Amino acid sequence: MSQLRIADRVPERELLSSGHLACPGCAASLAMRLVLKALGPNTVVVLPACCWSVIAGPWPQSSLGVPLYHTAFETGAATASGIRAALDLRGDADVTVMVWAGDGGTFDIGLQALSGAAERNENILYCCYDNEAYMNTGIQRSSATPWGAWTTTTPAAHPESSPKKDMLAIMAAHRIPYLATATVAYPDDLVEKARRASRARGFRFLHILSPCPPGWKHADDETIELARMAVQSRVFPLVEVEGGTTWRLSPEPPEAQPVAPYLLRQGRFRHLTEQSMEHIQSEVDRRWEWIVRQCANGGR
Amino acid sequence: MKKVMVGNHAVSWGVRLARTEVIAAYPITPQTQVVEELAEMCSDGRLEARFIKVESEHSAMAACIGASAAGARAFTATSSQGLALMHEMLHWAANGRHPVVMANVNRALGPGWNIWTDQIDSLSQRDTGWIQLYCENNQEVLDTTVMAFRLAEAVDLPVMIVLDAFYLSHTAEPVDVPEQEAVDAFLPRREARYKLDVRDPRTFGGLVRPDSYMEMKWHLQKSMDQALQLFDEIEEEWLLRFGRRYGAVESYRADDAQLLLVTSGTITSTARHVVDVLRERGESVGLVKVKMFRPFPVSSLRHALAGAERVAVLDRNLSAGRGGIFAEEIRSALYHGNGRATPDVFGFVLGLGGRDVTPALIEEIVQRTKSAPTSGRRDLWAGVNL
Amino acid sequence: MPDSLTAGRVPPVAVSTTSTLVTKTGAWKYIQPVYRDRVAPCNEACPVGIDVEGYLNLIREGRTAQALDLLLRENPMPAITGRVCHHPCEASCNRRCFDEAVAVHEIERSMGDLALETTPRRMPGTRVGKIGIVGSGPAALSCAYHLARLGYAVIVHEAAAEPGGMLRLGIPEYRLPRVVLNRQIEWIAAHGVEFVCGVRVGTDIPWRDFLSRFDAVFVAIGAMRSRPLGIPGEQLEGVRPGLEFLAEVNRGERPKLGARVVVVGGGNTAMDCARTAVRLGSDVTVLYRRTRAEMPAIAAEVEEAEREGVRFTFLVAPALLRGTDRVKSVECQLMRLGEPDASGRRAPVPIEGSRFRLPADTVLTAIGELPDFRSLPTGMDLDQSGVATDQLGATSLAAVFAGGDLTRDPRSVAHAIGAGKRAAIGIDRHLLRAGGLAVNGGDPDELRYGPRGNLSITRWRGDDPVSRHAPLNEVVTFGDINTSQFVHRPRAIGQRVAVEIARAGFDEVNVGLSQDEAYEEAGRCFNCAVCNRCDLCLILCPDIAITRDGDGYAVNLDYCKGCGVCAAECPRGAITMTKVGE
Repeated sequence: MSQLRIADRVPERELLSSGHLACPGCAASLAMRLVLKALGPNTVVVLPACCWSVIAGPWPQSSLGVPLYHTAFETGAATASGIRAALDLRGDADVTVMVWAGDGGTFDIGLQALSGAAERNENILYCCYDNEAYMNTGIQRSSATPWGAWTTTTPAAHPESSPKKDMLAIMAAHRIPYLATATVAYPDDLVEKARRASRARGFRFLHILSPCPPGWKHADDETIELARMAVQSRVFPLVEVEGGTTWRLSPEPPEAQPVAPYLLRQGRFRHLTEQSMEHIQSEVDRRWEWIVRQCANGGR
Repeated sequence: MKKVMVGNHAVSWGVRLARTEVIAAYPITPQTQVVEELAEMCSDGRLEARFIKVESEHSAMAACIGASAAGARAFTATSSQGLALMHEMLHWAANGRHPVVMANVNRALGPGWNIWTDQIDSLSQRDTGWIQLYCENNQEVLDTTVMAFRLAEAVDLPVMIVLDAFYLSHTAEPVDVPEQEAVDAFLPRREARYKLDVRDPRTFGGLVRPDSYMEMKWHLQKSMDQALQLFDEIEEEWLLRFGRRYGAVESYRADDAQLLLVTSGTITSTARHVVDVLRERGESVGLVKVKMFRPFPVSSLRHALAGAERVAVLDRNLSAGRGGIFAEEIRSALYHGNGRATPDVFGFVLGLGGRDVTPALIEEIVQRTKSAPTSGRRDLWAGVNL
Repeated sequence: MPDSLTAGRVPPVAVSTTSTLVTKTGAWKYIQPVYRDRVAPCNEACPVGIDVEGYLNLIREGRTAQALDLLLRENPMPAITGRVCHHPCEASCNRRCFDEAVAVHEIERSMGDLALETTPRRMPGTRVGKIGIVGSGPAALSCAYHLARLGYAVIVHEAAAEPGGMLRLGIPEYRLPRVVLNRQIEWIAAHGVEFVCGVRVGTDIPWRDFLSRFDAVFVAIGAMRSRPLGIPGEQLEGVRPGLEFLAEVNRGERPKLGARVVVVGGGNTAMDCARTAVRLGSDVTVLYRRTRAEMPAIAAEVEEAEREGVRFTFLVAPALLRGTDRVKSVECQLMRLGEPDASGRRAPVPIEGSRFRLPADTVLTAIGELPDFRSLPTGMDLDQSGVATDQLGATSLAAVFAGGDLTRDPRSVAHAIGAGKRAAIGIDRHLLRAGGLAVNGGDPDELRYGPRGNLSITRWRGDDPVSRHAPLNEVVTFGDINTSQFVHRPRAIGQRVAVEIARAGFDEVNVGLSQDEAYEEAGRCFNCAVCNRCDLCLILCPDIAITRDGDGYAVNLDYCKGCGVCAAECPRGAITMTKVGE
């Protein structure tokens, strides 16, 4: 069919409740909704400090239909390791333990615990919903913030001057069983990758790009489109990596689009000169080629 | 069964007898032997636990919290810098009401690097909501370790067992190891009041607004108060089953003593010797040992110190800018504010960074306490070369 | 969990006891989504007024019987329009901007052929009355069909020996096989339409008598006279009106044209003349005074003509026909394009001193057709282009309606079918009112597909099987489509017979699509403007504020934050954001 029938591939069940406190158009809330559709109720969520600490709802409420443990900023992977051990010992080895962390809790403060758990190949699923800055505290740069972006700590006159940390390469270097990137723009792909991740054993990592209307300065209704543009422009390539060595582009990449329209849709890039955008384009191209080479070298 | 073992291994044996389920730890001198021995026990099947070899003490505590939140019995051990690194998670364990048990081998904090004993590391964690139990010998270490789990799980609060670096940790003593069946009867498998359970999905630790946060802290304080009484009951049971008890506060030859020494940890043993010697000489000197620092056994201490004219508190620690921490706590405990006479409390800071506390030094302290017209509520230092 | 958690007091631990459903986040929003089906551009563009998007969607859902029913509600002869219509639906198709337009005409043809295999279901019509119809071309057949389905007794009167009008006389067999035409007319007749042939109303029966026999009359005698060239030499032997030539061939005769045939004109009649002349063995040149871009003929017809060897000479007009008794050559005048004329196309202007001669044994004129106004009843008002009617076909004469080529409508089969349907609605409304019934939907504009589309008789009858949710009568443009939900796929093309076979006879050139290919092609439709329950809104709502509701969806305004993701991502523009409170 020439119409995509996403509905056939996304389970009906809902484990996220309405009334959660995400901003309108929040990709991070949608991403959780979709991932939980894939994982089902036999899941325990570990939540280090991030936007979701708020989205989950204030006590005594909860927006999730699965157990959730709020933990300290840098401890997602470590806390999950402990929960995993306890569940295994208490006969709940089939329960998926999922860390749900933002980019700050993953790329920055939580990287040590993450690396430790990944290296130990803990049997947990680590999802990073990446909105490319400390959004919950009011848009401060993180090491996931892309080069050239405005944040409240990288003013437009001196925007972010480091490239986004290459989490994909870092996690691949840990040789974990399953690693994938996904976005809410391809909900069926996100659900499928979450399913594959849940079926795998050992440490699994899902990197989910999550546009943020207030942080990226775009309209609430552009969330999905920007996620899609990020993929189409290859700013955020969709891949799966098994064992750290078997790379593949997944799904088949759409026809490449230039980066500039993606940048121009976001207020955080409004100050960029044409030259800056060309620089970003060349960096995107270079990384894309690197990824394609990984796929050629180790792909099936 | 008597076994000769170092203090660190006494911890390990206690952890094993408690049938601990999850251990997460990171090496640090002088604690390392605790977890080395546990790793052996897990490896050869003497202990059916999951040992998570985390990449930091911070993660060790986080993993213990996770395991405890999921209903398991969890343990870690650390020391000094490692404990300081855990600090954030100590609050998390207490506020989350996770009965994690931890052994802390007292070691001074750097710089300069110092691996020897003092209590600043553990006492710095005073306000985290952890119960703290200090030990004098290896038998007490083992017994306290097992009792710590019972206490922790009874009140849903974490417990820290504290032992001196080297004086206990690396010193071998004969230790009576209780039978496993007897310990099982004393400490059954943990049944958590609250836990992460897919069959009853709940969220733990969400945003608590000012209208409710304080009530949760009130509950924490109430549980601490309860722990004080419960510890007594638990020790009573331990006495019945195993023939030993220690007491949150222990008085030694204190009846009718005009001067009482107050100690904690291994200094206590030295002080017992000094008291014996001085009693031989006819001096009216006794000893009060403080085992439980949090919750602070205020009424027991008041009772124990009530008859003395002068009290000398031996503090192997320092709250810089104030003085010895036990001394300050005791002054506060004795203060009635109604004009009634209380013993004059002399606070002595000594033994920091592993400095030896000899019988001669303690005798000197006794003499200084007796001869001074009054304490003047000043901080006194002993055994310091200036 | 202990009871203390539910006792209403603050417990020792921050453990949840309720869900976030207690927080009505819907209060945050200032705009909210509303499911409002709109109009697909094909529906508006269709001169017949077919719910194109509707029946293609039913095919996609596998409900082919319902799809056929929906198609036949508006179009009595899809087997014919599927073959000969100039399909403006495809020209307006939003998919054109994505890859290629959906091949609607091929699907329609396939469905039309399927319809001819069915036994017509006589509708349980409730209306009483007798209608006389003059003419039996597409307008007449359409009007007759719709009135018969409403329950009226309908008699069609045709001057020729067989019904069909322009369909039979003007359209060559290789485009519309007689067997298809005959079966289509039989199929229409089976709805209860009576046919009387060989009777010329106005001559064989006086108009006065004729009008008195019926409760209402529909006149659709078409435009059967070729417009003369108006140049010297037009009376020469071998110079023939194209329509007359086509009628002769369509009757089965095979006139001798000579080796060289010149066809004058750029419309469909010109193409039909040229391709018919090729089949009679002649070498054919088409003269057209504008360029290819301005040709009114269906592009595919022009391509087929070229494929079959017809030569085209553009920017040329005949100035003079030379010859003594019989035409020998055409003296041609080179033209250039000047300012746009009334039709909006750039007017051809002669280039001085640029004449040349083109040898010709036969010249076929096809520069337009005119109605025979002499055949009309007296007192019927005309305007500049033909019989004057209102938008429901009513003429100046009471109870007399007219439509098709004799009015100012564009001259196409589809427009004629559309006019017949409008007149059927007009007649029905007239007779209902005459019977003293209050009639709803008095304003024909309410029956249109889009502001400029044709009327829907389904809407007039009020029995639309396709439910439209809070419909807005505005057309969805390509900008409203979320193309990310579609994948590129080439348009299906009907199989053509080999050119040698095509040139050798009158076999149908386009073999069309198989039924399966047609259904597959229907799957390419974007289903613009109308929710087809694809669930994307349901899946993408970050607030789980969209729920299934009967046939469609409902927005839970207690929780919808008004982000607009559903409306932005709807593949077909069926969700509109509105201000809260409006």
